[in-house]
Amino acid sequence: MNQKTVRRLPIYIALILLALVSVVPFVWMLATSFKNGPDVYTQVPQLLPLDKKTGEWNPTLGNYEYVFTISGLGTAFWNSVWITCVLVPVKLLIDALAAYAFARIPFPGRDKIFVLMLAGMMVPTITLLVPRLHVTQVLGVYDSPWGIILPNVASVLDIFLMRQFFRTLPVELEEAARIDGAGRMAIFWRVILPLSKPVLAVVTITSFIFHWNDLVWPLIVLNSPDFYTLPLALQQLASTESGRAYYIMAGAALAVVPVMIVLLIFQRRIMQGIAFSGLKS
Amino acid sequence: MASPVVAQRPAETPPGPGRRRRPGVGRRDHLIGWLLIAPALVYFIIFLLYPALAALYYSFTEWDLHSAPIWVGLQNYTDLFFDDVKYPHFWKSIQVTLQYTLVAVPLTLIAALGQALLINAIRRGSNLFRLLLFLPVVTAEAAVGAIWRWLYDPQYGLVNAVLGLVGIPRQNWLNTPELVIPALAFIAAWQCGISMIIYLAGLKSIPESIREAAVIDGAGPVQRFFKVIVPMLRPTTFYLVVTGIIAALQVFGLVYVIFSGGGNRSVTGGPEQSGLAYVLHIYLYAFRYNAMGAACAMSFILLVFIMIITFVQFKFMKQEAS
Repeated sequence: MNQKTVRRLPIYIALILLALVSVVPFVWMLATSFKNGPDVYTQVPQLLPLDKKTGEWNPTLGNYEYVFTISGLGTAFWNSVWITCVLVPVKLLIDALAAYAFARIPFPGRDKIFVLMLAGMMVPTITLLVPRLHVTQVLGVYDSPWGIILPNVASVLDIFLMRQFFRTLPVELEEAARIDGAGRMAIFWRVILPLSKPVLAVVTITSFIFHWNDLVWPLIVLNSPDFYTLPLALQQLASTESGRAYYIMAGAALAVVPVMIVLLIFQRRIMQGIAFSGLKS
Repeated sequence: MASPVVAQRPAETPPGPGRRRRPGVGRRDHLIGWLLIAPALVYFIIFLLYPALAALYYSFTEWDLHSAPIWVGLQNYTDLFFDDVKYPHFWKSIQVTLQYTLVAVPLTLIAALGQALLINAIRRGSNLFRLLLFLPVVTAEAAVGAIWRWLYDPQYGLVNAVLGLVGIPRQNWLNTPELVIPALAFIAAWQCGISMIIYLAGLKSIPESIREAAVIDGAGPVQRFFKVIVPMLRPTTFYLVVTGIIAALQVFGLVYVIFSGGGNRSVTGGPEQSGLAYVLHIYLYAFRYNAMGAACAMSFILLVFIMIITFVQFKFMKQEAS
């Protein structure tokens, strides 16, 4: 070992300890989720799914089966999948169109509207919840998947991020396209969007994570278990089965693992994107 | 609100040299512009502007969501502040939230800065560590709450087992009033990955020449940290403190999951209301007691608070910039 490595050894040790603090809760979640009920409650913590009495290898998928079918997390899982898959692309389109107009199409009143929208971002979510609930009732979408989709179908923050990006694109490209006879919409689809993949990726991924994870709004707008999204169903499970950690951890794994996979695939974009936009819509 | 379309006015951008403008292009641009923002604008009006204004109006009423709201003037506000029979936990929830903010924000920033410094000091493996330390950020609140309830379990929890190794006796973390805030703040610090990434960017922006100059001047690592790194990171820290405070004041999902139990949608504020975050208190009044007016009044108090903080931040940043 050379000197530099030796000097860095304490740094690596500290980082490994911190990384353990960060990761062990998830490892523990997974470990618990594969154990049979009685094997979970041991005096000395046991990582592997071993039989409490005999010490034999004794893992199970039964907890997943139970929460997926009997506790309704399966329904909730698919609800979350389809709601996110409808919501995110529609939201992306609405936000991108508005962002393009705010960035490039001058019309009277545009900047005043934009500033007003930005000011709206300051309002805390909790302030909006009661009137939004009332609005969903008036619109007839209370206690339905549309009650989740509609109040989330655009995001001022995403419009802002995309507008900032669109403004950095060279105007000359648009002008060249216009000389070639392209209209506004053709320019948007064929020039602007293909050049904006980085910001579109960031906004898509952060939106996906946010809506997949969102608990508060579904908690308020949903009432029927048939419509529960995964976080809401998990919260209910944690509440009703509070003595059965193995079920709850299996449910938590269902919510956590898809997002972890997305993070592994898009790690760089996500970390930068979230760092500079926050994980709020 | 927005001014109506003034189609007669010429387009804001004058035609560039060498580019002949087709007649009527400005007017058509206005129309396209309005069409493109229309969906977002409709959304904004229905789900942001109207709710914000409605919440202000409802805060002056007594309203149960089903019958018509009754105007009561400032009574919700005065009752909240002065009637501790009607709202026995209002001040307690403010106290809890301020305590939580006071513990969680510094703890999160220290953890984030520490992690960023360590990662910045290595080359090999820095991406891996960054990823691992970032995992808690993308985890759903519901899962975070569920996982940590299990970790903090007084009898079988991993936290007590680990602390037992260094001789700290078992604690009933989430059921002992004095331990609730530290336990929640630790979870917040566990999720410090966003601040860590922002600190890392701040560290990377410190010019190497400044560090080298400090080394040549004979500054040791400790001196370099306090005399070079901390001052250079001041804008970053300021930003993180402000956003951290705003987030901590609104803590809700986590406490909701941590302190819900015993059946359908019942939630408490923890032992002796020690975990009764301000927003949880609002939630209880709105969606359990159906006291929408009072809940809106509480949420407006929070809104004013957050606007003041944002305003102060704005002023400071302007000062810093000039």
